[in-house]
Amino acid sequence: MQKSKTLKESNNRAIDILFYIYRFVDIILVISLFIPVLNPARICSLINSNMSLFTSGVSYSGLTKNTIRAINRGWVVKETFTLLYISSLICCIGFIGPVAGCCMSLGSLKLRRLGNLLSVIGNILSLTGFGGIYISYLQVAETNNPDKIQPLIPTGYFVILGLILLVLILSVILLIVQPKPGKDDVYEMERKYKLFLMLTPFIALTFVFSYLPLWGWRYAFFDYKAGGALSADNFAGFKWFKFLFQNEATKKDILRVLKNTLAMSGLGLATSWCSMAFAIFLCEIKNLRIRRLIQTCTTIPNFISWVLVYSLATLIFSSEGIISNIIVNRGGEAVNFLMKGEHTWLKMLAWGMWKGIGWSAIIYIAGISGIDQQLYEAATVDGAGRFRKMWHVTVPGLLPTFFVLLLLQISNILSNGLEQYLVFENPYNTRDIMVLDLYVYKLGIDSGKIPLTTVVGMVKSIVSVTLLFGANRLSKAVRGESII
Amino acid sequence: MKISKRRAGEIPSAPKYRTTIGDVIFNILNYSFFIIFALSCIFPFYYLLINTISDNDLVRKGAIRLIPKGIHLKNYISLKNVADLMQAFKITTLRTLIGTAIMVAASGLVGFLVTKKEMWGRSFWYRFIIVTMYFNAGLIPWYLNMSMLGLTDNFLGYIIPGIVAPYNIILVKTYIESIPAELEESAYIDGASYVTVFLRIIWPLSKPILATIAIFGAVGHWNSFQDSLIIMQNSSNLYTLQHRLYMYLNQTTNIGQLMVSGTTDLPASLQAALLDTKTIKYTVSMVTVLPILFVYPFMQRYFEKGIMLGAVKG
Repeated sequence: MQKSKTLKESNNRAIDILFYIYRFVDIILVISLFIPVLNPARICSLINSNMSLFTSGVSYSGLTKNTIRAINRGWVVKETFTLLYISSLICCIGFIGPVAGCCMSLGSLKLRRLGNLLSVIGNILSLTGFGGIYISYLQVAETNNPDKIQPLIPTGYFVILGLILLVLILSVILLIVQPKPGKDDVYEMERKYKLFLMLTPFIALTFVFSYLPLWGWRYAFFDYKAGGALSADNFAGFKWFKFLFQNEATKKDILRVLKNTLAMSGLGLATSWCSMAFAIFLCEIKNLRIRRLIQTCTTIPNFISWVLVYSLATLIFSSEGIISNIIVNRGGEAVNFLMKGEHTWLKMLAWGMWKGIGWSAIIYIAGISGIDQQLYEAATVDGAGRFRKMWHVTVPGLLPTFFVLLLLQISNILSNGLEQYLVFENPYNTRDIMVLDLYVYKLGIDSGKIPLTTVVGMVKSIVSVTLLFGANRLSKAVRGESII
Repeated sequence: MKISKRRAGEIPSAPKYRTTIGDVIFNILNYSFFIIFALSCIFPFYYLLINTISDNDLVRKGAIRLIPKGIHLKNYISLKNVADLMQAFKITTLRTLIGTAIMVAASGLVGFLVTKKEMWGRSFWYRFIIVTMYFNAGLIPWYLNMSMLGLTDNFLGYIIPGIVAPYNIILVKTYIESIPAELEESAYIDGASYVTVFLRIIWPLSKPILATIAIFGAVGHWNSFQDSLIIMQNSSNLYTLQHRLYMYLNQTTNIGQLMVSGTTDLPASLQAALLDTKTIKYTVSMVTVLPILFVYPFMQRYFEKGIMLGAVKG
């Protein structure tokens, strides 16, 4: 009796371990679906190297984008690509099986077995798809112009095929090894896993859009040109990191850009008390309706885009704007104030304040209404005037909020944002307006210098995170409260 | 008087409103500062409006300063002939509606799920999502990632990345935590599932905060410009309204530069085209800004609620 029980337990443990392996391989398999390097459907070099198996199965136009010429010349037949597309699509559909199996493996015995069954079906479907891909490869290989087409079986084909087979075998084993469910077994799952599975899609989205881009940091170590591929041949090590500081022209650029960035962030930091002052003085307006109206008016600019701000700016300050208009009417000459290169930093600061101050004051206004009125009464009894009350009661009450916002601002010292500087940039002020974000945009998107800008972005991110954690530590040490 | 609110025996405070000359001066200065600043915030919009509805010839001559003259709506009507613009308008409206709806539904659901203490690895996954607010890989890796996922030159590229919005999730979570737990518990005892509880209890009760994030999300989508600029480089039919406006603005600046430098005498046809772009530029600006001006005063309290709730977490 005792012996059979331990046997059963060790058996259970073995099944558990098998399940862990099964889930692990499943997850790898699903991730590989989205990785372009592993795309098994890239059967000739004509197919865009940015396509993953998933995108090949979803977007026919993407798959055949570069092959239209080859089809027109008669090097390959169109049907081959239709077959390739359908096979990829079948693979994608087949992948639903393992995904469902992986999710269901967290449930009761009956649910787990159903999951394994689905996994087997899905993988067989995927294998059919792989067969289709192989057939289309054979068709492509018969081309009369192999130099241009370069048919090949990608390594990803074997990697993913191996993974699929592994999952298939594991599912079959699990189906055999697990005991048959009893009559009163039901499809059910523990609450903790149910909740987790409901969250999974969002975790996956977060991973794909916030963590996966970090994988792009590898471009910093390669001699990459847009449309090319990463391989051992163009591995460059720390070349671009050194380039940043060794190449004279780049070094000069970077130093200038850094100067602008730090100057504008510094001006922002130095004036960050303004929104607090704005709130304090606004609260001195005792007529609630007027105060409300002013608040509404001053917060609106925060909700229009920088493009619109620029449009309004041209309306007021350009050579066709109202100011030039007045000057011309008085016999002067039209001036385009936006096309002038002087005081760029201050102008940008002013625009930023015009747009943001009313909005950032709201938080302080709420803070002021949270201050105990008795403090003011006590101060009045002690003979404090208006300004002394502000300085000795209101300001200390708002300081904690101020510090939190200040620390967050410090951690963003290298990120001024792109839009404001992009819309206001022109040949006259480009020297002084070029901040890091704009520089990265210009160099990376416009000039396609991907590795160099990746390096810049990388350094920027690391500095920001370091500063944030530093600020957090500081806040913990000084105020005993963390900010994140 | 207010004395009734005080406890007996307390000394009434000194009379509050004894206006001195200093007070009067302070008030005058204070009022005038804020009124001028408020006007500086509002006037550009007003000026934009009167420039687009006034007689185009008068606008060209610069005769319109404060009062609209010769009011007409031809500029607005002629906008519908600009094909690019109507397409951009359609795209922006679509992305605002779809993107906001999905984002709100997702934030509601995630906010609800992460309040459930019994979830497997709850605090880890919550942090996993929230921490993404504080770092990003950078513009170029993000772009390469989007292109790898096939979301460049694709309308879904506007929608999918915005589904999970960490900041909004924090707002919803904080709000849901303030709902009495008994409401939910009694539903579970009656045999309700998580989905039922979410749809029947949590969703209706958290409508105020969902409205708040919906408005923030909609404004964000409406104003979006950067993503259109970066990931839609090859498909001009997917440009957003702001992107189109940016292009119009730039076109005129370029022609404007030619004129200022005086090296070229612009032919009359180009002059006319220039004036046309000017009108279009400002009319489009007005159309782009109208929804926000229209919606903002009514929704102000939601906006303020949003920033306050966010401040709780810091």
